Amino acid sequence: MAVESRTIKVDMLARVEGEGALYVRFRDGALEDVRLTIFEPPRFFEAMLRSRAFGEAPDITARICGICPVAYQMSAVHAMEHAAGMQLGGSIRDLRRLLYCGEWIESHVLHMYMLHAPDFLGLPDAVQLARTHGDLVRQGLRMKKAGNTLIERIGGRAIHPVNVRVGGFWRAPRKDDLQALVPELQWGRDAALRTVQFMATLPMPELEQDYEFVSLRHPGEYPLNEGRIVSSAGLDIAVEDWPQHFEEFQVRHSSALHARIKARGSYLTGPLARYSLNFDRLPAEIQQVARDAGLGTTCRNPFKSIVVRAVETLYAFDEALRIIATYEEPSPSFAPVEPRNVTGHAATEAPRGLLYQSYTVGGDGLIADAHIVPPTSQNQATIERDLWSVAQEGQAMADADLQARCEMSIRNHDPCISCATHFLDLTVERT
Amino acid sequence: MHEARLMRDLMTRITGVAAGNGGGRVAGVHVWLGALSHFTPHHFAEHFVDESAGSIAEGAVLTCDMSDDPTHADALTVRLISIELAPD
Repeated sequence: MAVESRTIKVDMLARVEGEGALYVRFRDGALEDVRLTIFEPPRFFEAMLRSRAFGEAPDITARICGICPVAYQMSAVHAMEHAAGMQLGGSIRDLRRLLYCGEWIESHVLHMYMLHAPDFLGLPDAVQLARTHGDLVRQGLRMKKAGNTLIERIGGRAIHPVNVRVGGFWRAPRKDDLQALVPELQWGRDAALRTVQFMATLPMPELEQDYEFVSLRHPGEYPLNEGRIVSSAGLDIAVEDWPQHFEEFQVRHSSALHARIKARGSYLTGPLARYSLNFDRLPAEIQQVARDAGLGTTCRNPFKSIVVRAVETLYAFDEALRIIATYEEPSPSFAPVEPRNVTGHAATEAPRGLLYQSYTVGGDGLIADAHIVPPTSQNQATIERDLWSVAQEGQAMADADLQARCEMSIRNHDPCISCATHFLDLTVERT
Repeated sequence: MHEARLMRDLMTRITGVAAGNGGGRVAGVHVWLGALSHFTPHHFAEHFVDESAGSIAEGAVLTCDMSDDPTHADALTVRLISIELAPD
């Protein structure tokens, strides 16, 4: 007699817990120590890339992040093309910029609506936000979908796109395919404007930090894929000079690498840095929207990053519409790339900040060495500095309130280490 | 990264439930994806294929119910509804 399969009813939740811990010590009424510990083990992507064909880098690096795979692909292909002595223009360049707009939209909207806005309203998570601000969350979900659809149309699928290749794209989207997105992107642009206006009404904790901002700066446009690396303290270097000016280092209390400017210290990448170093590269209309939202030409309050993120979302919708209006299908959809035995460097602007990559490729086309520096590691030391300030200000708070403020402070810069609600195991010592 | 960790936890639960019910190969997995979980069925299936490779759930038929309700109490996460154990 045949034995039937058995169905076991389960109904249990999958959880992500224990991503990080924060240790705060007060002694005699003074803050003595703050340590942010990340437990996530190394993922060995750089080692995985070694001995793989140079053309595999965009597909492998896309797997590093489900929220910002395009950023990893863009830095990878630009670094490979730099190694090959190529610089692409025309429609391929435009398509890459358009693809990046899609990622900024979906990532920024996820960050603002689902992860950060509940903090400002004293709500535990996006589910509660959906219950108290249903229309707002539905607006956010639709905006995010518009960004994902843009990525899908150009990249082949919404998450971990597969259509990007060194030298261009496997297949270029037809003009009609992109034109079909225009009505939803126009709606998205209007929704992004409402988003700026809403985020500007949120109660903002007062905090001004003396960050050294670091971002790309391009001669004529708000930076995405190209530019020199500049800082608010006067740094102005070509991307290939990154290793001479920056370094990663380990700290005993965390598995996450930290980074610093050599002989100077921590710095900040991401929306606050991009905005403050490139305000003059935003279209005049968007500059005015930012001013109307209470922002100046620079912003040093990390909590206002949610407003800056909204301004960048507006820009991404605006830029996407501009690019689609003039898009002509590139033919061919890619340029042939011949590997050379040199090291190529590239940095692009991931939603959360500067993403630097370098590759040494042999004459055989195999990757001999890879170096990937995500914004998460570049901002670690600065996030800890922010936590010092927050803990200092919040000394009188109950531990639960201090925890909420600390999580909010981390989410100012990086949801990737705080996307699980109540991710922190907070230890406060008061002696 | 978040999705990979979530999937790893889910696989731990799948193999645990299978072991607790006599073990054997998992022929099917039924999950519910929250509207705010950042998963699409396609994306989830990819992670499932990666994570189940070499396990008792490799090759299992995956059924994903995608919720569109952001107010659902579990909207941020993934629920394992049931698993189907293959006949011995």
